[in-house]
Amino acid sequence: MEEKPYKASLGSHGSDISSPDNDIRNLWTRATLSQPNLNVPRSRVGEDSDMEGSSSGTKSRRWYNQKARRDSDGGWEEWDDGEDKESFRQEDLDEPSLLELELRRAGSLRSRLEEEEDLGAGLGALGHLSLLLPLQLPLPLMELMENEALEILTKALRSYRSGIGRDHFLTKQLHGCIEGLKRRRSKRLNILGH
Amino acid sequence: MRLKQGSFLWYLYLDKLYCLLSVRNVRALLEYFHLLDVHHNNTLNDVLFYHFLHHVTSWKRTQIMIVFNMLDWNAMGEIGFDQFYMLVCILLAQQNHLEEQFIFRHSRPVFELLDLDGELRIGPDNFHMYNFLFNIKKQDLKELYHDFDITGDRRLNYKEFKLFTIFTMDKYQERQKAEKDEEKGKKDLLKKKRLHQVNVSLKQFLGINVSESRI
Repeated sequence: MEEKPYKASLGSHGSDISSPDNDIRNLWTRATLSQPNLNVPRSRVGEDSDMEGSSSGTKSRRWYNQKARRDSDGGWEEWDDGEDKESFRQEDLDEPSLLELELRRAGSLRSRLEEEEDLGAGLGALGHLSLLLPLQLPLPLMELMENEALEILTKALRSYRSGIGRDHFLTKQLHGCIEGLKRRRSKRLNILGH
Repeated sequence: MRLKQGSFLWYLYLDKLYCLLSVRNVRALLEYFHLLDVHHNNTLNDVLFYHFLHHVTSWKRTQIMIVFNMLDWNAMGEIGFDQFYMLVCILLAQQNHLEEQFIFRHSRPVFELLDLDGELRIGPDNFHMYNFLFNIKKQDLKELYHDFDITGDRRLNYKEFKLFTIFTMDKYQERQKAEKDEEKGKKDLLKKKRLHQVNVSLKQFLGINVSESRI
């Protein structure tokens, strides 16, 4: 992993974690946040496309779409209060170079990914989101997510078994998902080992 | 409530102004949601939801089930991504001490969440039940009903609730400003002390030199 020229701040999380993995995660989750003057063509930035919210009667969708409309209206609002600057130490780095760094990394990670998940089927109200934003999550983030999901699902499996039994199709379905995650994890570890 | 350090949610970043996630963060959250959606319904049932919250927060079972029932506003026994996203924003707001900001920015959805019976009015019981979620203190609650219950029915309609959120937000900003001024005051004091020390040491240095030259 490339060394960062600055130490990314977790902002309101409190303690600073200096490992490159965590810096990259911070960089990824907070890059392009509140950058109203970013002049990067849409074709170059696959992830930052505007989102069209679907209209429906439910309160949550109204709330979520309000946020989406705000995004499509002009991207990020300029922050006019200085108190937020201390949590944005990434301003130490130029915004274009930050984005460039990230795009380069995303490109190299993409080429390393062996398979993409099929996200087209059955995504519900926010299904269009995955179509607009192709899967470009950094590998360390994916690993973190999968490991955590594995822990949660393993505990859920115990509840399923005690609640509805081992032979119930839902228990088997959950068990199958857990096995799939374990296989992906071991595959990834094998790749990294080589 | 504190989020488990090092968990996936812990790394997400909540916009401090709008108390929402960026599109990129939402994309990652969606991926995470799909990992937990083992039955491919685009939902989490109560068991999965419980284990998820139990893993990432310090909430007890009763609190988790209260949250589940609150979010399951269709009474389907499952939580979709929209509700999941809202929950994550609430968790992050709590983690970053942005409860007042969150309630101010999203007063309508919060009001609708608290309005369990759909009567378009919320009583003190509603607030008590969700106190652990929005961190509304008892004293603030008393003020709330004393100052903002304009209709006098001991319940708040949306407008009264909105006034409360504006008032709370003003208080929050004043508190922030006071903390900033206090910090600035301390820094100025420290600066003055240092300057004074430098002056004293300079005078001492010059005083010694003058006495040596006389000799």
